[in-house]
Amino acid sequence: MYYVQEERTIRDRTLLEVRGSDHPIQWKIKFLLGNSSRQISQCRNSIQGKRLLTDELGYVCERKDLLVNGCCNVNAPSSSQHVCKSCLANGCCRIYEYCVSCCLQPDKQPVLEHFLNRAAEGFQNLFTAVEDHFELCLAKCRTSSQSVQHENTYRNPQAKYCYGESPPELLPI
Amino acid sequence: MQKWQSWQSSRPLRRTSLSLSSGFWHATGRHSSRRLLRAIPRHVAQILQADVLWQMGHTGSGVKVAVFDTGLSEKHPHFKNVKERTNWTNEKTLDDGLGHGTFVAGVIASMRECQGFAPDSELHIFRVFTNNQVSYTSWFLDAFNYAILKKIDVLNLSIGGPDFMDHPFVDKVWELTANKVIMVSAIGNDGPLYGTLNNPADQMDVIGVGGIDFEDNIARFSSRGMTTWELPGGYGRVKPDIVTYGSGVRGSGLKEGCRSLSGTSVASPVVAGAVTLLASTVLNRELVNPASMKQALIASARRLPGVNMFEQGHGKLDLLRAYQILNSYKPQASLSPSYVDLTECPYMWPYCSQPIYYGGMPTIVNVTILNGMGVTGRIVDKPIWQPYLPQNGDYVDVAVSYSPVLWPWAGYLAVSISVAKKAASWEGIAQGHVMVTVASPAENDSAIGGEMTSTVKLPVKVKIVPTPPRSKRILWDQYHNLRYPPGYFPRDNLRMKNDPLDWNGDHIHTNFRDMYQHLRSMGYFVEVLGAPITCFDASQYGTLLMVDSEEEYFPEEITKLRRDIDNGLSLIIFSDWYNTSVMRKVKFYDENTRQWWMPDTGGANVPALNDLISVWGMAFSDGLYEGDFTMADHDMYYASGCSIARFPEDGIVIAQTLKDQGLEVLKQETAVVENVPVLGLYQTPSEGGGRIALYGDSNCIDDSHRQKDCFWLLDALLQYTSYSMTPPSLTHSKNRVASPIGTDRPLPQRLEGNHLYRYSKVLEAHLGDPKPRPLPACPHLSWAKPQPLNETAPSNLWKHQKLLSVDMDKVVLPNVRPYRPQVRPLSPGESGAWDIPGGIMPGRYNQEVGQTIPMFAFLGAMVVLSFFVVQLTKSKSKPKRRKPRVKRPLYLQQQQQQTPHSGKTPTV
Repeated sequence: MYYVQEERTIRDRTLLEVRGSDHPIQWKIKFLLGNSSRQISQCRNSIQGKRLLTDELGYVCERKDLLVNGCCNVNAPSSSQHVCKSCLANGCCRIYEYCVSCCLQPDKQPVLEHFLNRAAEGFQNLFTAVEDHFELCLAKCRTSSQSVQHENTYRNPQAKYCYGESPPELLPI
Repeated sequence: MQKWQSWQSSRPLRRTSLSLSSGFWHATGRHSSRRLLRAIPRHVAQILQADVLWQMGHTGSGVKVAVFDTGLSEKHPHFKNVKERTNWTNEKTLDDGLGHGTFVAGVIASMRECQGFAPDSELHIFRVFTNNQVSYTSWFLDAFNYAILKKIDVLNLSIGGPDFMDHPFVDKVWELTANKVIMVSAIGNDGPLYGTLNNPADQMDVIGVGGIDFEDNIARFSSRGMTTWELPGGYGRVKPDIVTYGSGVRGSGLKEGCRSLSGTSVASPVVAGAVTLLASTVLNRELVNPASMKQALIASARRLPGVNMFEQGHGKLDLLRAYQILNSYKPQASLSPSYVDLTECPYMWPYCSQPIYYGGMPTIVNVTILNGMGVTGRIVDKPIWQPYLPQNGDYVDVAVSYSPVLWPWAGYLAVSISVAKKAASWEGIAQGHVMVTVASPAENDSAIGGEMTSTVKLPVKVKIVPTPPRSKRILWDQYHNLRYPPGYFPRDNLRMKNDPLDWNGDHIHTNFRDMYQHLRSMGYFVEVLGAPITCFDASQYGTLLMVDSEEEYFPEEITKLRRDIDNGLSLIIFSDWYNTSVMRKVKFYDENTRQWWMPDTGGANVPALNDLISVWGMAFSDGLYEGDFTMADHDMYYASGCSIARFPEDGIVIAQTLKDQGLEVLKQETAVVENVPVLGLYQTPSEGGGRIALYGDSNCIDDSHRQKDCFWLLDALLQYTSYSMTPPSLTHSKNRVASPIGTDRPLPQRLEGNHLYRYSKVLEAHLGDPKPRPLPACPHLSWAKPQPLNETAPSNLWKHQKLLSVDMDKVVLPNVRPYRPQVRPLSPGESGAWDIPGGIMPGRYNQEVGQTIPMFAFLGAMVVLSFFVVQLTKSKSKPKRRKPRVKRPLYLQQQQQQTPHSGKTPTV
């Protein structure tokens, strides 16, 4: 006896609007192009990691290599900038901190702008509130309604953090 | 006529808002008849003395608090600082159509009439439930992301559900607390049954809140322990964390005025409001985090007398003491529970209900480590076991396992306690402690790689008795009990259509608690087998008790059990129904996961049980029977059970007249069947061989939905299996019949295409039929090398366990006055909503609440209707919401779901 599993997304939950950019969301992000190697005295960072953190300059480091000012110690062996480790070609990564770091690469700006212009109404609250490239990458890489199938299962538990436009690949349960 | 055609739920299966939606009130009103008049103070914030903190100028300002609920209307007169309202549902409104969200927001932040705790806090209203109380994980995920971006400090979730294996949701809650959001959540309204804790309140990083009434009784509805994530191999954690008022609490009405409401939905915002107020009192906000707040709440809580820790957690919220502790707090680790006294009744029930002895299965205490030093932490070196030599500590063996990383803010420390061989015939009390050091990265330390550390002691006190004789020892098979989540394992009683899932854990300390208590009162010692049958020494036990087993059996287990029974072990099986036509019939469309659910077994896995007992010429049938009867002068109720299809000729078989429930379910026809064999007793023929007893229904020993208990029958069966005493009331019964040969009807086969292999520890997917996996190794505990101490412990462990380095006396409170009702100015038209101050008649109390409850009951019923739709026939009754359907074949692939989970869950 087989029964059918269905894949369905609620229309207003899809990230990308089908209707195009009639009413693009009013995003206000200021990208600081080419400034990612700038000198700053305090860093915001991704806070949540079990082992790793990403700072706003795009450095990923282990917690022990975080400086008091919130930045990664760039001289520590664990630190590296703009790494896309564990990320797939579709822009989805296994590890959140690498997703954020990869998303902070300057050349990702067109992709991000493109999707901001097409982001669906359901994501309006989130993406109109983000103020800069770093906040955008923190928010974009998080799992969301785009990450699940049958509500309680990840589409792809191995690559669920996405900076790109497409949702994670849909794997069979 | 539709009776069996719809499989609907009056309790949404998954996440649901936790106010009481049915007639619970009458049950909780038990105290109303006791006293004539009693002054019941009504304003929960003032009962908890929030006004003392208000007078000091603390009112919640600067703290961002989020309410995830049914929304809030824009111009509600009770709120002065609603920062933002957002809608995450598919209904285009921000307003509350139900009143639930308004009430919850009011308890936290109302500034007038029924006052909340933190009127100046910044309120963020997240509408995540529709007016039909529908919600989805995906809505929560998006709303939670927004809460993280907005840097919410405190988040109230008066919602919950049984699905702790909803990984996207559970992971997201971890992510929130990892971002320093203090999560407060309702523990659930499924009490007084045990094993009913709701997610996310059951998570270590969340403050899980239970409910009490104004006379400090645990509210009947309040869900209770233990957590069941850790079964079968481990033992559950203590939850709820704390309790507070949740019965007849007043809060803001939908448009204006006040109303009363009951439920853990109400208790949760009481704590969330208190937490918001408390956070605003702390000068150095850096010190406030999900762990330190929880540490302050549980260290200050007032323990309720006569109530065990799986009902009250650490006790009743004490706002002012929490204020004192929080304001003298230094970052540190602490333990929940903070000590292990296996002799202390009733608080440490069930531990205190059975002493330990040499050769018994180790007693596991699953302690939660709270780490206020940082979101990540680790245990330095290994925890140390230090027995107290003057107090016989060397008679105890201890093994410890723990989370490799404490994240977020918490981890587990599982302490397995056993008796040393030299105490095999000793009786007495033994003591010692486990010492554990926790380290976290020091974020304010200029030295790179610097760490903060905190060392905590866990005092341990146990009662040891000589090993009881084999006949008194019963082994409960937990390993072969499967449950929801993850799979659809249907209820054992098919009449309980409003609660279709078997989700309470099937453990002697959850929904088989009454049975356990009964066996203890009869002098039996009951141990739990959390591993395959190959992993216990059968010569130690009189009877192996298998109740309502859903799991399959390894071939090695079948062989081993046969040998054990030849050598004198006895076996009692309480089976349940298994009928593939009925299983197909009880399939339903689950709105939560938007897919069809087909049961993976019946009430029990009869085909697997038949494989286990076939060597003795025994088998259960796929018949499905129901009805009342009398056996040995006891009234009995058979609730969806099977019958015995085959039994050895020289056995004793008892038959009864029952209704054919299968026919009723499938064809809505009524038929009475005579001589249905329900009970069988058999002495195996080998020299010194054991005895086997079979009964076709487990409902009469299960606490959930039980109508009539049959503990007398269990006693009689144990007399037979453990002491070889054949109960005359059964052998001389007029209902005794010849053993069924059972050749007339084929034995039940496994449901074709079932997905049991996805959830089974025994099966794995193969092309064709699933096959058994290789037999896993038996669990092995490595006992800690003791480091004995020549010291003695204080006699009362509890009083000596508080947070370290806290000098509460330094935190001065202004003259704490007893509660005095405060009269607030009323705006015009509100006087009607104002409550009569002071004493009220209990009758009125009841009645008043009764007015609000039926509305919720009605709305609850509405939800229900929209929640599950059962397929009657392929052409009929397709759920409204199902539109595009992409047909896909089934994949024979082991479910991935378990893999990522095992790394994060405490599997102790």
